[in-house]
Amino acid sequence: MLLIAEHLSYPAEPQPGAPRVFDGVNLVLEPGELVDVVGPSGSGKTTLLRALARLLPGVGGTLVFAGAAAESVVPAEWRRHIALVPQQAVMRSGTVADNLLLPWSLRVRAQETAPDADQLREALDSVGLHEITLDRDAAKLSVGQAARVALLRVALTAPDILLLDEPDANLDDASADQVRAITARFVGGGGAVVRVRHLRSDDLAARRLRLSGGRLTGEV
Amino acid sequence: MPETTAGGVIAIGWLQLVLATGFVLLVGAISLRLALGIEKELAIATARTYLQLALLGLVLRWVFGIDSPLVVVAILVFMMAAAAQTIVRRAPDAPRGILGSSMLAILLTGFTVTFAVTGLIVQVEPWYRAQYVIPIAGMVLGNSMNGIALALERTFADMDSRAGEILALTALGATPWEAAGDTVRVAIRAGLIPTINSMAAAGIVFIPGMMTGQVLAGADPLHAAYYQIVVMLMVSAATALGSVLAVMLSFRKRFSAEGVYVEKGYRS
Repeated sequence: MLLIAEHLSYPAEPQPGAPRVFDGVNLVLEPGELVDVVGPSGSGKTTLLRALARLLPGVGGTLVFAGAAAESVVPAEWRRHIALVPQQAVMRSGTVADNLLLPWSLRVRAQETAPDADQLREALDSVGLHEITLDRDAAKLSVGQAARVALLRVALTAPDILLLDEPDANLDDASADQVRAITARFVGGGGAVVRVRHLRSDDLAARRLRLSGGRLTGEV
Repeated sequence: MPETTAGGVIAIGWLQLVLATGFVLLVGAISLRLALGIEKELAIATARTYLQLALLGLVLRWVFGIDSPLVVVAILVFMMAAAAQTIVRRAPDAPRGILGSSMLAILLTGFTVTFAVTGLIVQVEPWYRAQYVIPIAGMVLGNSMNGIALALERTFADMDSRAGEILALTALGATPWEAAGDTVRVAIRAGLIPTINSMAAAGIVFIPGMMTGQVLAGADPLHAAYYQIVVMLMVSAATALGSVLAVMLSFRKRFSAEGVYVEKGYRS
């Protein structure tokens, strides 16, 4: 088992009279498995993803990754293995290459070798971004292009688990297909994915879970 | 013929002070005529000006008279505490707990820059001579207070507007410093810009306050200018040092223990 979440609740200490966003959530994730989390908007799907990436203060319950309890792993290291891709693609000022190499500018990857220009080119080509040069100003990318670059940026760091927040919600069909292709390749390579979505359905997911009323329930 | 003091300065007495009230009456009349509604504030502010400055004059006269290092340092600390309070009041969106970091930034900046000027450049003897130390500390503190308040206000506003970017970076494994570094730079720059602008405009657009004072007191204008140059450079150092310290000591307070930026919706 790659990731085990037990009795996750948020907020762990709710304000008097205010309900929890979610309560008693259990989730087990195996390598090479893609799990969809569906549910009405505002049901806490994004919040749950942030809890799994340890990007949310005040969560109760336990998280275990590859046999190691969350408390024994420094947060930055945890996020290196369990990578959240926010719904809104964030491009920093600079070129497409700057943005793809952003993860290697951080201390947590100081010991790792960043991909070279050929590898970046190959990665862009693999998601249909043939026309995007590495020195293109990232601010000039379309929404669909930026979403692919943002996902690629995370995928290139080779995490064990991808947490995708509505990865294709605002995309045109062609971009959505490419995002799905990246996701499928990642799963095919042994990675695990938790994907939050409410619109399209596809056959990538091994399981579909529903978050509603603060509870995560089985097959939909 | 108005009476003069020993230095040749024309002294201002009670009569002149009362005459100066005429200016305020003029502003009050304008306010009434145009229905600006600021008469009450104006009256209070005027009364405070009279009281606070007269009190300052009396206190300084007393301090200059007793010539004690302990009293000088105590006054500096009091001024610093007031500056830190003002900073906190001017950054209402900042998280709790910035009073401590503001105070620390003001203390370090205030003492270092003030005594660097009085001890190394002006070479005051003895080191605590109130006539030099207190006015210089006042300028150091006043300016670094403004710089710090601007920088802190900008820090927390800018981090809120960049919350999405900070989250994405944190998700990539960034530390709070790596995730908020751009904000820190923007904020420190914001704190420094007024000082740099006033350095650039000094002597052309306006005669800086201290030089004005020295010239009125009968000093040679060139010597007064030299003094003013030292003061302006000192002020830029004080603003920079103060802003850097305050921002560095406090930006982390918006992050959780696990290094996550706590956005507006998630604050308790």
